[in-house]
Amino acid sequence: MDNQKESLVQKGKKELDKRFSRLVGLSSSNLCVRCGLCVDACHYIMSDGKDLAVSPVAKAEQVRQVYKKHHDWLSKVFPRWTGAQKLTEEKLKDWREVAYKNCSMCQRCTVNCPLGVDIPAIMGATRSTLSSLDLAPEMLTMLADMAISREENLDAFRNSFVNQIRSMEKELQEKMGDPSATIPVEVQNANFLYVPLSGAHTILPAAHIFNKAKESWTISMYEAANYGIFLQDTARSKKITDRIVNEAKRLGVNEVIITECGHAYSTFRWTAPSWYDEPWPFRVRNLVEVIDEYIQTKRIKVDPEKIKESITLHDSCNLARNSGLIEEPRRILKALVKDIREMSPNKERNICCGGGGGLVANPEWAETRLKAGKPKAEQIKATQAEVVVASCDNCRHQIEELNDHYDLKVKVTGLSEIISEALI
Amino acid sequence: MISESLLHFVEFELQIIALTIFAILYALKIVQLVKLPMPREVAPASGNPAKGVAFSFSTLINPFSMDSTTKHLWRWMEFLIYHLGALSAILATFTLPFAPKMMAYPVRIVFAIFIGLGAIVGISKIIRRLANPHLRYVSVPDDYFSLIAVEIYFIAAAGCLVYFTDGWRFVFFLITALFLVYVPFSKISHYVFWFFARIYLGIRFGRRGILPKKRLQHG
Repeated sequence: MDNQKESLVQKGKKELDKRFSRLVGLSSSNLCVRCGLCVDACHYIMSDGKDLAVSPVAKAEQVRQVYKKHHDWLSKVFPRWTGAQKLTEEKLKDWREVAYKNCSMCQRCTVNCPLGVDIPAIMGATRSTLSSLDLAPEMLTMLADMAISREENLDAFRNSFVNQIRSMEKELQEKMGDPSATIPVEVQNANFLYVPLSGAHTILPAAHIFNKAKESWTISMYEAANYGIFLQDTARSKKITDRIVNEAKRLGVNEVIITECGHAYSTFRWTAPSWYDEPWPFRVRNLVEVIDEYIQTKRIKVDPEKIKESITLHDSCNLARNSGLIEEPRRILKALVKDIREMSPNKERNICCGGGGGLVANPEWAETRLKAGKPKAEQIKATQAEVVVASCDNCRHQIEELNDHYDLKVKVTGLSEIISEALI
Repeated sequence: MISESLLHFVEFELQIIALTIFAILYALKIVQLVKLPMPREVAPASGNPAKGVAFSFSTLINPFSMDSTTKHLWRWMEFLIYHLGALSAILATFTLPFAPKMMAYPVRIVFAIFIGLGAIVGISKIIRRLANPHLRYVSVPDDYFSLIAVEIYFIAAAGCLVYFTDGWRFVFFLITALFLVYVPFSKISHYVFWFFARIYLGIRFGRRGILPKKRLQHG
C-alpha cells in the first residue's frame, strides 16, 4: 500500500515536471506577489466570498507550493519561508476539486492581474497531471473517449447519422418552404465543412442560414465538442481534433466552420494547430464570423422588425476573452434587434457563467456550478432583458439552469437561432 | 563613529559586490526560465502581437484598463506611490555616491518625500495583509518579511537623505547591499518576471485580436 502511494506521488512529480513550461514556471515563480487583486475578479468569490480556498490566488498557491518545493532555490532550503510543500497523495486528490471543480479556466483572473500571472496555465498543468494519473473526473474522460470511439466505429455510425440528417432536412424544407433546401453530407470540394454539436439546435438554424446564403457547404460527421481539452489531455484532444482535420482534408474544403461552442472553437482555432507538424490546408472560423460576413456583405437579409423583445448578449469566455470574437456578435445583433442591453461588465471583461471548463458536463458539480453562476444571474437580471443570447452551448445550458434556479424569467437562445427566425 | 574608509567601502566596493551577486543570480534565474519549453501558437493571427504587447504594458499606467484596478483605484494609487518611493530610494543609491553635487539638500528632501510616502503606503500594505482574510490565507513568511524589509529600506533611505550623517549613510548603504542579495530570492523579484509575463500575455492577446480589439473586416 505504501509502495503504491509512493509510486502515485513519484509519478505525480514526474507528470507535474513534464508540464513545467515557461508560462507555468513564470506563473509559479515570484511573479505573483499575492496582492489579492484577482480575488474579487473571480465569479466563485463574487458569488459569496466566504470560501477562502477558492480565490484564484489561493487555488494557484495550492499547486505553486509544490512547484516551489522543486524549482525555487529559497524554497528548496527554507520551504516554510515560502510556503513550499511536498507533493502528497492527499494533495493530488484535493487538486481534483481545486483545478476541475473550483475553476472554470475563464481567465478573468489573468486579465485582472496587474502582473499578468497566468493562473489558468497552472490550473491547466494541474488538470493535465491529474488526467495522466487517472484522477480526472470520470465523466469528462468518458465523454472524451466516446468522441474518439465515434471515428473508430464510423461505418456503423454513418447510416444512422445520414438518416438523422435527412429527417432534419425535411424539417428544414418545411420551414423554408423550399423543397430544394439541403443539409449536404460528405460533399467533396465544398467551400466549407460545418462542424455542429449533437442536437438539431446547432444544425437546423445554421443550415437555414447557409441555404439562404446559397453557400457551398457540407456537414461534419463529428461533433465539435472536445472534452479532451477540459482534461488538458493533449493526446485525447488531438485524437478528437484529428477526426475533423482528416475529414476536412479528405473532402478538400477551404474552411472549417465551428458551431457556436466556445471551447470547441478556441481549441480548434488557436490551440490545436500547434499539435501538427504541417499547417492545415484550410482556414478555421466560427459560425458567428460567417454570419457576420453574410450580413455585412448582404448575402443574407434579416427583418429588423421581426425581433420585438429586448436582448442581452452573454460573452462566452472562450469566444470573447480567449478568441477575440467580441464585436462580431454585437454587429449581428444590431442588424436585427432594436433593444440591445449590454451586461456590465462585458466583452473581454465579462463574468463567466460558471459552466465553463467542463463543469456543465459533470452532474455532481451542479450545486457548485449554480452557486458560482450567481454573479451572471445578477448581471442578466440587472439588464431586465427578455432574451439572453449565448453563442456557446455550454454557456447556454448553464444560463438555462440559472434561469430556473434564480427565477430570471428570460428566454435563452443562440445567435444562429435568432438569425434564423428573422431571415427574409 | 564610522571611519571614512569604511563608509567608502560600504558606498562603493560593497555595492559593487552586492550588485554583481544580484546580477549573477538574476542572470541564472532568467536562463533557468528561458530554458523551459515555451509552446508557440502557430495558428494564423487575427490581430497584431506587437500591439498586444504595447497594450499589455500600458496597463501599468492606465488603471482603467482592468476591472480590478478600476474597482480598487486606491490600490492602483498605492502601487504608484509605493513604486515611486522604491524608485527614488534605488536612484539615491547611485546618485549619492556617483553624483553627490546633484544631491543638494532640496533634492534630497524631494527624494525623501517620495520615499516617505512609499513608507506610509507600505504600512497600509502590511495592515491589509494582516486584516484581509483572503490575503492572510495565502500569505507566507516571505510576504511579511519582504514588506517589512522594504519598510526598513525606505526608513533608512529617508533618514540618510534628510540627515545625511555618516551613520545614516552607512546604515542605508549596508541595508541596500543586504537587500540586493536577498531580493533575487524573494517575491520582490516580481519586477523582473513582470516583463516576461506581460510580453507573453500581450503576444497572446494581440495575436488573437482580444486586446487591443482587432479591426473587423468585410464591413
